[in-house]
Amino acid sequence: MTKPRWSALSLVTVLVAAAGCGGGSGTAPAATADLSAPKEKAGTLTMVTKFADPEYAPYFEKVVAAYEAANPKVDVKLEQVGDQPYKDKIRVLSASRDLPDIYFSWAGDFANKFVRAGLAADLTGVIGPGTPWGSTFAPAALKAFEYGGKNYGMPINLDGKYMVYNKTVLDKAGVTPPASFEDLLSACDKLKAAGVQPIAFGNQYGWAAIHYITQLNAYGVPARTLEDDYNPATGAFTDPGYVTALQRFKDLVARCGTKDANGLSHETAQAQFLAGKAGMHYVETVEFDVFTKAEPAIEWSFFRLPVPAGAAGDATALTGAPDGFLVNARSQNAGLAVDFLKFLSSKENAAAITKDIGWLSPVKDSATAGNAYPQLTDALTDIDKATSFAIWLDTVTHAEVASAYLSGVEGMLSGSRTPEQVMEGVRAAAAKAKKEVG
Amino acid sequence: MGTLLTRWRTWLWVLPAVALLLVFVYYPIVDNLRLSFFSWNAFSPEPRFVGLDNYAETFADPVFWRALLNNTAYAVVSLVFQAGLSLVLAALLEELVGKRMRGLLRTLYFIPAAMSITVVGVLFSFLYNPRYGLVNAALDAVGLGHLGRAWLGEESSAIWSVIAMSQWQSVGYTAVLFVVAIQRIPREYYEAARVDGSGAVRMFFSITLPMVREMTTLIVILTISGAFLVFNEVMVMTAGGPDNSSQVLGTWLYRKAFFEDDMGYAATVATVIFVITFAIAALQLAVSRRRRYDA
Repeated sequence: MTKPRWSALSLVTVLVAAAGCGGGSGTAPAATADLSAPKEKAGTLTMVTKFADPEYAPYFEKVVAAYEAANPKVDVKLEQVGDQPYKDKIRVLSASRDLPDIYFSWAGDFANKFVRAGLAADLTGVIGPGTPWGSTFAPAALKAFEYGGKNYGMPINLDGKYMVYNKTVLDKAGVTPPASFEDLLSACDKLKAAGVQPIAFGNQYGWAAIHYITQLNAYGVPARTLEDDYNPATGAFTDPGYVTALQRFKDLVARCGTKDANGLSHETAQAQFLAGKAGMHYVETVEFDVFTKAEPAIEWSFFRLPVPAGAAGDATALTGAPDGFLVNARSQNAGLAVDFLKFLSSKENAAAITKDIGWLSPVKDSATAGNAYPQLTDALTDIDKATSFAIWLDTVTHAEVASAYLSGVEGMLSGSRTPEQVMEGVRAAAAKAKKEVG
Repeated sequence: MGTLLTRWRTWLWVLPAVALLLVFVYYPIVDNLRLSFFSWNAFSPEPRFVGLDNYAETFADPVFWRALLNNTAYAVVSLVFQAGLSLVLAALLEELVGKRMRGLLRTLYFIPAAMSITVVGVLFSFLYNPRYGLVNAALDAVGLGHLGRAWLGEESSAIWSVIAMSQWQSVGYTAVLFVVAIQRIPREYYEAARVDGSGAVRMFFSITLPMVREMTTLIVILTISGAFLVFNEVMVMTAGGPDNSSQVLGTWLYRKAFFEDDMGYAATVATVIFVITFAIAALQLAVSRRRRYDA
C-alpha cells in the first residue's frame, strides 16, 4: 500500500508556521546594517552555505577554523547543506525573517529577491568598485551581484561554461575544434560517422539544456533586449532571437546528442565522456577537476560554444556566473560578517580554493601555475576576455520564467512542443512575474 | 464533587495532546486555507489579498489537471495491484503453498516495503536508465529491444514507470495484511465447503473474499488516500518531469512553493489535497459506521 507521505505538506506547514512566527505582519525592513569594522572582534557569527558536498565542505570548515584561531573571541556557526535542500531551507529562513548573518546565493534574480525583500545588506560602501576590498575582485564577478547600481554580494568563485573535448577521440575522427556553430554541427556528423557519440548530454533535471539556451540566447538576442527581458518588471520575450536560439539547440541535439537525453543524468553523460565514448561534453569550470583526475587519464581541452553565423547578440558573452555570499540586512554582527568575508577572500584563501577544490577564484591573480593546472589557468585567461557573464537562465530570470523554460525545453526535446510553443509558455510566465513584482 | 474532580483530571491529561493537535495540525490547516486567498512568497514582506484568484488560476492550469489525473491513475493502478492482486497472492500463499515455503515467501514479499523510498527510487532510476539499465537490457535479451526506451525521460512513460515501482514496493505489504485477515477465518468454513465439493476458486469467492471484507475496505481507503498524497517516489525519480508529465499534486505543490516562489498557489493546491483526502477519510468513517450498524 502506498503509505501516506506528508513531506510536501509538512514543508508548507513549516513555512506557514515560520511565516506566522517570525514575520508577523511582515513589514518590509529597509534595515541598514552597520558594516563598519568592529572595535573588538567578538561574538557569534552564523553562516549557511550550500556546499555540503564532501569535496567542497572541508575548505569552508578549514577557513572557519583558521578565522576562529586568529580571533579567539569569535564563534562561527557554520551550517552546510546540499544544493536542493538549501533552496528549501533559505526560503523557510527568509519567511521567518530568521536568516543567518551570512548566506549563500546564486547570482541573478535569486539574489535580487533577497534585495527586493530588504533581506540583503547593501555592501557598496565596502565592496563596491573603487573600494580597497572591491578592487581585489574581477569586475565582472562583482557586477553579477549588482542590483540597481548597488553591490549586494561577495563572489566566491568564477564559473564559466565550456565545451570540453577529448583530443584523442576528435583526432581519430579527423575533427578539429570548430570555429562556428555551423562547424560544430558538421563536426558532430563526422564524429557520428566515426561511431562515437558527438556530445555527451544528459538532461534529466532540465538545467543542462538551460545552460545551452543561456549561451544561445546571449548570442542570438541583443544584449539590451536580453537585459530588459530578464528583468521581471519589464520581461516580454518577444524578440525572434529566442525562438531561433531554441531552434538552434534543437538542431544541436538532433545532430550531436541523443533522443533519450531527458532520461539521462548529467553524471551518466559525463561518465560516457570520461570513458572515451563521446567526443565532447558541455560543462562548468567547477567540474574541470573531474577530467584532471580521470582514470585512465584522458587528453582534454576546451572551447567556448561557438557563435552561430549572423547572430544578433553579444558574441563575446560567456555563460557562467560566480556564486556568492550575502550579508543579512538585519544582522547585529554585520561588521564582523564583512570582516569574515574579507578573510575568506584574502589572497591566501583564494589561492587555496583553487588548490584544494579546483575552483577559480574571483580574486585577481589568485590562480597561478603553482596552484592550478593548465586548463584552469587557460579558462581564467578566457574568462577575463569575456565582456560579460551570461548568467544561468534558471537563476537570472524570475522563478516563474525559469520554470517555464525548464519544462518547455524538456517538452521540446521529447517532441511535444515546438520552439514557438515553448516561448508562448515563457511569455505567459513573464506576464505573471511582471504582475507579481508590480 | 468527586465527578467534577475526575472530569478536570481527565481534561488535564487530554489537554497537552489537544494543544499539540491545535498548534501543529488544525492551525496550519486553517492558516493554509487563509493564505490560499493571498499572493505571497517567502520573500514578499506583505501578502496581497487576491480573493479566489489562486483558485481560478489553479483550475485553469493544465498542469494541475495533469497532476490530478496522475494521482487518479496512481489510485486506480494501486487499487488493482494492492487490493486485488495482493489478495489473490495472499490466498495462494495460504491455500496452496507449503508451511515452510509460506514463511519464506511472506518475508520475501515484505522486504521491499521495509526499504527506504529514496533508496528504492534511486535503485529503480538505475534499472530504468536507457543506456545501462536492466529493464532495456532484459527487453533486448528476449527479443523485445524495440520496446526499450528512456522510461523516466519520456512523457508517455514517466509516470507509469514510477507507478510500477510503487506497486513493486507495496504489493507485498498489503499481501501480508491480507494473510493476517485470512488466517482469522475459521478453518471449519473451508472444511465444510470442501465436504460439499467446492474447489479452490469457489472457496475464494464464497468464503475468503466476504470474510476479509473489513480488511479490504481499510486497504482500499488507505490506498486511495495514499495515492493522493504521493510525493517522495515522484520527487526522487523524475521530479515531475519531463515537461511536467509526471507531476502529482504533491510535487506540483512543492515546485510552486519552493521553486517558483508562488506560495499562494501552493497553498491552494494544498487545500485541494486536503479536501480530497478529507473526503476519502469521511467516506471511510461513514462506511465503517454503517458496517457496525449492519453487524
